This record gives sequence, C-alpha cells and structure tokens, in this order.
Amino acid sequence: MTETESKDCPTETIESLTKEAEALKKKLEDERQKLNDVTLATVAERLDIINYMNIKPRRTLKGHQAKVLCSDWSPDKRHIVSSSQDGKMIIWDAFTTNKEHAVTMPTTWVMACAYAPSGNLVACGGLDNKVTVYPLSLDEDVTLKKKTVGTHTSYMSCCIFPNSDQQILTGSGDSTCALWDVESGQLLQSFHGHSADVMSIDLAPSETGNTFVSGSCDKMVLIWDMRSGQCVQSFEGHESDVNSVKFHPSGDAVATGSDDATCRLFDLRADKEVAVYSKESIIFGVNSVDFSVSGRLLFAGYNDYTVNVWDTLKCVRVCLLYGHENRVSCLQVSPDGTALSTGSWDYTLRVWA
Amino acid sequence: MEPDHRDHRCHRPSAFDKMEGLVREMQDTEHGGVPVRSQKLFLTSIPAAFMGYDLIEWLMERLGIEESEALNLANQLCQYGYFFPVSDSKNLVVKDDSSLYRFQSPYYWPWQNRPPDNIEYAIYLAKRTLRNKQRHGLEDYELEALSNLRKNLANKWDFITMQAEEQVKLSKVLKKGDKIISDSQERAYWRVHRPPPGMVTSLEQCPVPTRSWNGSRTRKRTIEDGRREVELLKNSLSRTRVKVSQALESMVQHVETYAEYDPLITPTQPSNPWVSEDTTYWQLNSPLVEVPTEKRVRRWGLSMEELVSDPTGLQEFTNYLRKEYSHENIRFWMAVNDLRRSAQSQIQRKVNEIFEEFLAPGAPCEINIDGKTMEKVHQEMKTPSRFTFDAAQEHVYTLLLKKDCYPRFIRSEYYKNLLATGIQPSQKKRFFGFGQTKKKTSTSSAPNQQLLQQQPSQGASVTCGALSKRRGSDRSLSGSAHELAVSGVKDSKVPHSHSQSNLSDIPYRGDLACLPKASPVPTSVTSPVKKPSIAIVAGASTSEEVCPWESGEPRSRKNSAQLDSGSSSSDISVAVAEVSERVQRVCTLTQQHTVDGSRKLSTSTMDPPRRASVSVPITHSTTGDSSKRKVSSFEDNSSAATSTSSSVFVIPSDTDNKSEECTSTNKTVVKNHGLAKACSVTGANAPIISVSSVADDLPPDSKEEQVEPTTSQEPLAPLAEPDSESPASELPPSEPITEVEADTEAKSNDVCPWEDEETCKVDTPFVKTYATLGYL
Repeated sequence: MTETESKDCPTETIESLTKEAEALKKKLEDERQKLNDVTLATVAERLDIINYMNIKPRRTLKGHQAKVLCSDWSPDKRHIVSSSQDGKMIIWDAFTTNKEHAVTMPTTWVMACAYAPSGNLVACGGLDNKVTVYPLSLDEDVTLKKKTVGTHTSYMSCCIFPNSDQQILTGSGDSTCALWDVESGQLLQSFHGHSADVMSIDLAPSETGNTFVSGSCDKMVLIWDMRSGQCVQSFEGHESDVNSVKFHPSGDAVATGSDDATCRLFDLRADKEVAVYSKESIIFGVNSVDFSVSGRLLFAGYNDYTVNVWDTLKCVRVCLLYGHENRVSCLQVSPDGTALSTGSWDYTLRVWA
Repeated sequence: MEPDHRDHRCHRPSAFDKMEGLVREMQDTEHGGVPVRSQKLFLTSIPAAFMGYDLIEWLMERLGIEESEALNLANQLCQYGYFFPVSDSKNLVVKDDSSLYRFQSPYYWPWQNRPPDNIEYAIYLAKRTLRNKQRHGLEDYELEALSNLRKNLANKWDFITMQAEEQVKLSKVLKKGDKIISDSQERAYWRVHRPPPGMVTSLEQCPVPTRSWNGSRTRKRTIEDGRREVELLKNSLSRTRVKVSQALESMVQHVETYAEYDPLITPTQPSNPWVSEDTTYWQLNSPLVEVPTEKRVRRWGLSMEELVSDPTGLQEFTNYLRKEYSHENIRFWMAVNDLRRSAQSQIQRKVNEIFEEFLAPGAPCEINIDGKTMEKVHQEMKTPSRFTFDAAQEHVYTLLLKKDCYPRFIRSEYYKNLLATGIQPSQKKRFFGFGQTKKKTSTSSAPNQQLLQQQPSQGASVTCGALSKRRGSDRSLSGSAHELAVSGVKDSKVPHSHSQSNLSDIPYRGDLACLPKASPVPTSVTSPVKKPSIAIVAGASTSEEVCPWESGEPRSRKNSAQLDSGSSSSDISVAVAEVSERVQRVCTLTQQHTVDGSRKLSTSTMDPPRRASVSVPITHSTTGDSSKRKVSSFEDNSSAATSTSSSVFVIPSDTDNKSEECTSTNKTVVKNHGLAKACSVTGANAPIISVSSVADDLPPDSKEEQVEPTTSQEPLAPLAEPDSESPASELPPSEPITEVEADTEAKSNDVCPWEDEETCKVDTPFVKTYATLGYL
C-alpha cells in the first residue's frame, strides 16, 4: 500500500494524497464487508408488516406568497416556523392555522429556519449568507430585536439549535459547518471536511450528545464531534447530492435523502450503509427526510410532489401521500410524533396525521 | 422566468436521464410502447397521438405501480414537457381517460440543448402573429411578452422578423399532418419554458447549490483536504465495528420498544389532537405536569435518558433523590448540562460556581468522584470551558446516577406510586399497546394470549439491552466493541428495572436467576452476542460501585437484577424471554419472600449470607400488616397449584427446544414453592451465588438443594397460593382487557402502605410483588 510510503514524505502532493485516500477507501470497504452478515430486511422479518396507514392531510397553512423552503416545529408541538423564497418567515399556530408573526428578511431564498429549544427564539438565513435570530414576543415587532449571529462565505443552507438557545449550528454552501455563540456572535467551532455545499445537518438525539451529522453535494455524509470539530465518521454511497440527513431516534443510524432519488440508512456502529429505500417508479430527487418517533417510519419528500412513507426496517414503501402541487421541499415529524408537517413550492404547508 | 436564463452549464439532475429513458421506452412502439396512432376526433383526424388511459396503463404495467402513482408520474413527465395534451394548450395535465396526448420531439426535451433564449422566443411569437389569427393568435400574456421583447430587443428586431417570415415560409412546404404536429410541439415547448403567469414550471431550480456540467461542483481540493481525508480514513480503518447483524438487531429492538410510544403507529389516547381537534392529549402530556400519564411514567423506565429528558421525569427524579438526601449528583449533572449550553460570556462564572458548589473541598454539595477524575477537573479548570466538567459529569452520570440512583428510583415505592397514580386516558389504549408489543415481540404463538400482559415487560427488557448498547456507542462514537458490550450490560440493569408494566420483575429477576434457571440459561445459550461472563463482571463491579448509603440489601438486589439483565441484554430469542417471563410469573410468590427477607436484612444490614434464607421465614411472620394483607389477598383468589402448573406447561410448549428445560424448571418451582422462596432470598442477598448460577447454568436441582433447608414454616402455605395464583389468574382472562382492569385496580390498591420513604428501599421488592400479583 502506498500510504505508508507517502505518509511522512515531505513532498506530499494532492495526487499522492488522493491516491493514498483511494487505497485506504478500498481497504476500509473490505473491512466493512467482512462484518456484513445480514440484511436489514432479514432481521426485520419477524416484525408485522405495516399495511395500512391512516395518515391524512389535517391542516393546510396558506399565507406564503412564494415557495416554502424550510420549516421547523416548535417544541410546544403545535407552532411551526417556515421560510420562503420571497424572504418571508412566518410563525404559525399550526393547530388553528393562524399566523402569529410574519417577518420579512432582507434577502430572497431563506433556505433555513429553526426554532430554539425554549420556543422563544427562531433563527433563519439563506442567500444572505447569514444566520439571524429573532426573539419572539407578542407585544412588539420581532424584527426590532433581530440579531445577526454568524456569517458564512456562501449561502446558509441549514441551521439548528443544539439543545440550547445560546448556540446555533449552521451548514453552508461554503462547504463548512459552524457553531456560533448566539449572544456574542463568536464562532465557537468550525467544521471542515466536505468538499462541496453542505445541504443538511442534524443533531444526535442524545441529550448530552456532542455529535451531529451533515450531508453535502459532495455525496458524502459526515459525522462530527462538536467539541473537537473533527469529523469522526464518513459514509459514501449516494450517487448525487445529499439533500437531507436525519439521525435515527436510536442515535445509532442516520437516514439520508438524495438527488439520486434514493433514501439510505447508514448504521454508525456497523459503520456502513444498511438499507437503500428506492423504487424504479421513483425517479425524482429527495429533498427532505424524517423519522417517526419510534424510527419505524421514514418520511421522505420528493421533487415529484409526493411524500413516500417507508418502513425503515422492512425496507418497503408503506404508502404515498399526495396533496402538494409542487415539490415537497421540507418535512418534519412534530416533536411528540403526532403529526407530520410538509412544506412545498406550491406556497403551502400541510400538516398530516 | 429566471430559471431559463441560467447558463447552459447548469447541473442536470439525474432525474432527467431516468425520465428520458422511460419516455424512450414509451415511444418504442415496436417493443410494447404506448400505442400511438392517428386518432379521430369528430370529423378531424389527429395525427400521432395516444390516449391518456393507454399511457397510465403502460406505466402501471411497466413499473408495477398503482394507478394513482402512475397518474402522478405521467403528470410529472407532462410538466417537464416530454408529452403534452393535444387539445388543451392551457394545462399540462394528464387524465386517465381518452383525452389525447402527443410526444414531444426530443429536440425540445428539457436539458437537451441549451436553454431557450429570448431571441428564439421572440421569433416564435412573431411567427405566430404572421399566421392565421384564429388558430395561432397570441394569448394576452404572450402579447405582453412580445411587446416587452420588442422593446428590449429593438436593435435585433429586424433580424427577428426576418427569421419569423423565413420559418413561416418553410412551414408552408410541410404536409398538413406534419405541420400540425410540429406546430403543437413548438407551442408545447414554449408552454413549458415560458409558462403563463401563475403556472408552475417544473424546470425552475433553486439558485443554489451552484452546479455546472463539467463536474467541478466541488471546490478545489487542497493539500489540507487531502491530509484530512487520509487522516479520517486511517482513523476509520482502526475503528471497531460491530457485526451488521448485531447493529441491526439492536435497531429493530429499539423500534419495537418505542412503537408503543409512536403516535403514527400506535394511536394516542385519548386521541390525536390533529385528528380529533381535542387537545386533551397535549394537556395530559405537557412538559411539566402534576400527574403524568401512566404511559409516560412507564417510559421513564425504559432508560435513564428517557427519564431525564422529560422535564416532569427529571423533576420527579430530583424530588426522589432529594428525599434520599442524594440529589447533589443530579443537580451537578444538570448544572453541567446547563454550562454546556450557556452563552460564552457566562462560561467563566458558571464554571467557578459549579466548582464551588460541587467540587471544591468542603463544598456545600460536594459530589463524590474519584481522584483521577478530580485531577482531570483541576487540570481543566485552568482553562475553563463549557467542557470543563465533562469527565466529572460522565463519571457522575454513569456510575452514580445511571447505575445507582436511577435503578433505585425505578424500583422505589416512589416510582411505583407514580406509575400507579398515573393517568390512563383510556384503558383500551393500554391494551392496544400491549397487544402490539406482544405481536411484534413474540415469534411464538397462541398460548401466550393469556400472558399478554407480560409481554411488554419482556419486550422492554429485551430491547433495553439494545438500548443500552447504543448508549455506549453514543458516548464514544469510536467505541470499541468491547466497550459497547460492557456498557450494554451496565445499562441493562436499567431496562429491567423498568420493564414497563411490572417492575416486579426486578426483584425476582435475581431470584429467577437461581430459581427458574430456565430463563437465564437458555438465554445465555442462545445469545450469540454477549458473553454471560461479561454480565457477571458487570454485576460484580456494580456492587462495588454502589453508593455508601446503600445498604447491603438493595445492593444485592441490584446485583441480581444486573446479572439477569446481563443475560437478557444479550440477544435473547424472544421466545426464550417469554418463557422466562412466565416462569417468573409462576414464581411470583418468591418475591414476597424476597421482600421479607430483604427487609429483615436491611435491619441487620448486609450479611451477605448464603443462609440469609434462614432469616426469611422469621421476617415473614413478623412482617407488618402489609405482608399479611398481601397474603390474605392471595388466599382470596388462591387457585389450585395444578392450574398453575398447567398454565406453565402451556406456555413453554410453543417455544421449541427451550421449552423442555423451562417446563421442568417450572414444575420444580411449582412443587417447591418453599424452595422457590428461599431461592429468591438467596438471590436477593447473595448476589454472588445468583451470578454464578447463571454463569454455570446450575441445574435447578442444585439450587433447590441449596435452598431446601430454608424452605419451611407457615409462610410456605400462603406463598404457595400466590404462586399458583399468579398464573392462574392469568389463565382465565385470555381477554387482555380483563387483565388490564385488574392491573389498574391493583395499582390503586397497592400504593399506600409503603409510602414511607425511609422504608422505601427495603419495601421495594415487597411492593413489587404485591403489584405484580395485583396485575395478575
């Protein structure tokens, strides 16, 4: 193997490093295959088939004047924040379908928005390359208290509060992720490792978890240690951009959705891909994925206006949800698992249960 | 529209390859494509068209999909302009009927050529103005577009009109049929690329990520990137991975456990607010509630993480620990969590505060951590950060909270109370959840009907092994397999403790270990994953780690629980678990003993006695009203021992080879309740013994012998009855509902006598017994 030779060679070049990486990858793949003794569907054989799902559209949230690009559930399980192509961010009481706040951002394509764990703060950003937080209060204009926390060198594609109102984690088109201190705007940690736009991030479900996952246009899925800033694990497999990543509720696996029209499941402990969710009839890219709270169901929003519901374990599709009239750009299961929200380029959001 | 102005290097999603492939197949009429022909519509003939339902049918057949999906797909292809409705120039919609469609010429497919520019559009529009007004007249929006273009392209307008005239002239040469086709195709093309206002166009793209044809979408690699990648790959190579089967099994188990808590799989009770418009469910499950639902409390029993991530759970836990004067640990844990999530400006202050309160010598709430960890903390204190106390927190969490406080909490009267008083929005739901768990968990068949109730607990326990495993992995992503396994065992105690429906399992799990050997033995045998030895080690170590204030007695119990959890955490075949569960049931009475014994012990503080059993009978007779009460209750419903045994038989029979073993054990159990009791005692008091029993697969007989001497006296009789009682009661109600009812009743009854916090620990097993019996 070449890696030993080039390792300490002072004149390492991109070529030598790439070559070395290739060799290592091959070795790694062999290692992984050694432990590949069974498929997920086989293990899940003993489970009952889910053959009937009574999921129907229960609410339609109308009010955006442009494509809905991102949404996030409030921890209170009934409010939703959504952002759209025309720079609007709306806070909904999804249960009553009332709009409680509407904020206009000085940018178009607000591609990311997120609720803070306290429910008193939202963050958003997009083509402005910035992440901005808005404290929510009913009695005054929320834009008065807005605060720009961090700036990337390219658009911000995703953001998330890591169990704290005081920090925010962002992913960007500049191919990095970053952790910011909300109050001071200080960059606490940056995460380098992707070689193309980061499209999606998700936190490990553990309370004290210091781990998150990112998906990128370089087709890679990386697992990060938030404390050290190091990438600790990587998964390859997708044939196109990874648009969405989500931790399995067990914390031991991540699901991904990609432009290659597949969703995949990567197990952290087995260190490899353990399932591909695809069908010949599904030819459009996946924009967003999320699990039901038990991890049994995987919801995926596609460019063909549909949501496919997959049985994560048996690796078969359970059903299709029709309703949107344009691409489904974002979806998320509510914190208590009682509902699924979807946002679409048809300017609406829907809540399914 | 903006999308079409992008330069032609733009990224072509793979969906286009797939769409084109499909459309080509459709057009391949020789090999079963969609039938295309001249269609008669009234008096006119429409060339080269196909009908909607032919298309849908073709798609359904080709892709093996249902009509709705085929229709959706057909509409997508239409939106992208691969075919278009012949007689409807306004909408790009496919209907599953006899309406006619025509394929677009590949020249006009999206992403075939460079995107259309405005000059072409202007030529097209100008051309139409030169032709028959009736057939080619412009729409309003097109007229507007034309006038705009004329303004913007004024300098090129001569060229544009010339081109338009030329094309009109050329088209006149075409045959009529061809002309109709090419006209419609061109029109459809512009309909897709310059859609009327308000119409969606599938071709619109997000402006980012910026993508281009030539594949240089990734930024340029630097040496730095290369190094980083190589580094990562090297680390990955040395990573310890688990077998895929093992990883997946634990995932499946996780999902099985939580299916009950997934509203999209198991309906919520009383109802899903989104469906019923009734927000009761949310009210009952607010973050902080006076009285949590029973289901929620049960969930706390799944793992410590479940408990502390629920505000109400955390509160109850803290209250409990406060009563025990040991809440500094949980407070420290919370403080460190808070620190980690604090604003940068607060870090310094909070680090000092935490140190002063919990760690400094003589601190008001000094926590008990080992010297090594302390050293680490001191070192970290030099550069205070949000992670300063991570090591100490980890220590407190795993060693004190998770291994000690949490299991105690779960076994405590306090938790029992919570569980018993927990709101049950609907009984039906309980049953429902159980039924489901059962179905999923058990591969075995019918006879367990009557044991429905037990399933959840067993399901939980099985799963928990997995859960805990994952925690292990969680903690250190790169965790070695070894570590994982061990941690799994560590935690597994927890799982058991909560076996949701009846915590009663816990105490007699220990007993169980010696008593109905059946359960542990086959378990360890079947489990390929974990070695029993690990379990033992863990068990042993636990006992050492137990907090000072814990009396020997609970410790032993824990130990036993641990041990058995260890065994079960290994991948038990469900069936086996089930059997063991049943066996446990059968031995329920034993618990009673355990209780008494333990109580006694607690007074005399841990004699690690093998002969602890001796004390048992005494205790028994002397125990307070509580025990008496229990006894009497047994007597009331006592049914014949025979029934018990029979029920026992039924159960294992469906679990293949293990069954024999089990059955025999059961029999022995039934026969010698006395010894069973004794056993339980031994289990409780002498962890070591129980451990070894598991490890060595001691035959039931040996156990019995061991016990024999202790077996004695009056307690026997009442005990025996309960013994038979439990399974007996289970037998008749093959309808789970009845069980549930009984269960609830039991809960409400068994609360009070042991409320006293002080005695709580001691009582625990006792209470458990009682509860269990009540269940049954």
